Amino acid sequence: MMQKKVCMVGLFATGKTSMVQRFVHSRFSDRYLSTVGVKIDRKEVEVDGAAVTFMLWDLAGRDGFEDITPSYLRGSHGILYVADGTRPETWAQLGELSALARDAAGEVPSVLAINKCDLRDQWMLGPADEAALAARWDVVRTSAKTGEGVEEAFRRLGRGTLARREAGR
Amino acid sequence: MDDQRWRSGPTPAEYSPAGEELAELRELLLGADRQRILEIERRLDAAGVTGEELAELLPEAIVLRARRDRQLARALAPTIETAISESVRRNPREIATAIFPVLGPAIRKAIAEALAGLAASINHAIEHSISPRGLAWRVEGWRTGVPYAQVVLKHALIYRVEQLFLIHADTSLLLAQAAPPDRALADADLVSGMLTAIRDFVGDAFGPEREAGGLRTFSVGELTVLVEQGPAAILAAVVRGQAPESLHQRLQETLEAVHFQFAAPLAQFDGDAAPFEPAVPLLEGCLETRLSTDRPAETRRRALWLPWAIAATLVAAVAGWLIVRSNREWNGALARLRAEPGIVLVSAERDWGRWRLSGLRDPLAADPAGVLASLDLDTARVTARWAPYLSAHPAFVRARAAAGAPAGLLALQRSIQRERVLFPIGSAALAEGGHEAIARVAASLAPLDSLVATLGGRATIALVGRSDPSGSDATNSALSRLRVESVRAALTERGVAADQLQLQPVGAASPLPADDAALRSTINRSVSFEVRIE
Repeated sequence: MMQKKVCMVGLFATGKTSMVQRFVHSRFSDRYLSTVGVKIDRKEVEVDGAAVTFMLWDLAGRDGFEDITPSYLRGSHGILYVADGTRPETWAQLGELSALARDAAGEVPSVLAINKCDLRDQWMLGPADEAALAARWDVVRTSAKTGEGVEEAFRRLGRGTLARREAGR
Repeated sequence: MDDQRWRSGPTPAEYSPAGEELAELRELLLGADRQRILEIERRLDAAGVTGEELAELLPEAIVLRARRDRQLARALAPTIETAISESVRRNPREIATAIFPVLGPAIRKAIAEALAGLAASINHAIEHSISPRGLAWRVEGWRTGVPYAQVVLKHALIYRVEQLFLIHADTSLLLAQAAPPDRALADADLVSGMLTAIRDFVGDAFGPEREAGGLRTFSVGELTVLVEQGPAAILAAVVRGQAPESLHQRLQETLEAVHFQFAAPLAQFDGDAAPFEPAVPLLEGCLETRLSTDRPAETRRRALWLPWAIAATLVAAVAGWLIVRSNREWNGALARLRAEPGIVLVSAERDWGRWRLSGLRDPLAADPAGVLASLDLDTARVTARWAPYLSAHPAFVRARAAAGAPAGLLALQRSIQRERVLFPIGSAALAEGGHEAIARVAASLAPLDSLVATLGGRATIALVGRSDPSGSDATNSALSRLRVESVRAALTERGVAADQLQLQPVGAASPLPADDAALRSTINRSVSFEVRIE
């Protein structure tokens, strides 16, 4: 079984934890997030017929990216960035977050999930901003509440990590 | 153009004054060309060999020079030192990975030597401890035959390794896991991830300590988690009970072995744990570490038979003592029976505590059972067969003569003893009445002898000579002797054997009693007869 370490990175309350809660095997309580700053879950994904087990490192995001412990990012095979479509600061700081991740984990495949797409009336991400983000990231709109896009985001990330492996051979 | 010619020619500075003309001629003929040739010559000298030529020659050159002296090493040392320190400064992990398999054993060896001294002193301290627990352990050691130090270990170091996780250092992904079948964790991958996260968290929280290897041990209730960190992998062991320091060493060795055997898969790891399946037996080697008391199996066996040996020795000692006592009783009893008059022991046997005796016994002899009982022996285990016989022992002859003798014998005895040969005052010459008395005694002796002979005995006659109390003792003694001698002479004249007669002159020492003093004097001037049967 292929295993991949995937970190979920994003500011506070972007919905990282909710995003995986319904889909993953959970052993540890959310309390770890506030104490240790990370909670690890397992998610099995099928990518183009191949089974991949994601070890999902849900990194606590608090007020700013400084709160993220860089050592948790070390050795990641992929990073799922999570932004909140209703709060512009969550994507405004993506650049700094990714720089931090790059320092710790190097260049690894990543996917940007713009969460809370079910809250259309509060949606703040304009087409121009979204296009700018899409130019730099592989963007997927997700809703932790309805489950929309979540599987897709993981699948894309899985494809990325596997492709990287093939390339590395 | 021929280079060789130019090279072998003299340089301009060496031209002799005599050759100046020739030089001038050359200058005229060759001019600028000559300048160029000189320049080429200088360059060739400076360059010596090309890079390619050097690459060809370098290894051989180094070998040759290194054989000759240490100059090369001295020259290179500063450069190599700088290179290493620069490499360490830039990327310490590369160097750490390279030397990890070498460094571990070397450091451990040094530490082990230092600890051996420490352990010896601790041992010394323990051996001299006299706490109640120490004494109890000491007693246990003495009882079981296990050295005291091992008893201490047994109580101090009971533990069990329940889980082992081999974790990739960079990605925190689980590479391999070992656990007893019923205890394998389904979520080992989550646990190993979280374990690494917590280590990272502690490392980040306490900063510099992380450089020294980070979180190595932590305890949760009865469980202790030991973590060994290597450059490419982490080995975590979940231990129930008290984990000894030696377990750290064992984990380290295992981790080194993993690094050594799986160097390539560790470096190329990309999430596929399959290449690490062969590492599982390595990990399993750390499971279920033996208890320290399991090792001295031989001592334990010895301890098991020791009580039996003691019991057997005791039994043997008791049995031996009983045998010795029984022998002493037996020999004592036989000696006693043999000494007993009227008992003749013919055979004596014993087996399994029963005694069988047989022999002859005079009816008058003591009861053998009574003799044995007087020795405090249990007569119930004695079987005896005694055939009756008559003993010639004097005591029995006398007793038989007294108790069982025929009436004639007693009458004869009494009649002989009634006879008395009287003498005149101061004389030992036989008077008329004396000859008659002697004749009667002599006549009675023949039937007496034959009667006594039928009883198995022999009769003798004691001649007791007396005198009256007047006169000196010496005179009386001499007179009484003369009187018994004259009676003996008279008896032997009548055919009585002299050896049947015993002379017993007593003087006036034991006079015959009489109320009247005159009669007493008369009857004591005499010889009387006492019949003795032997």
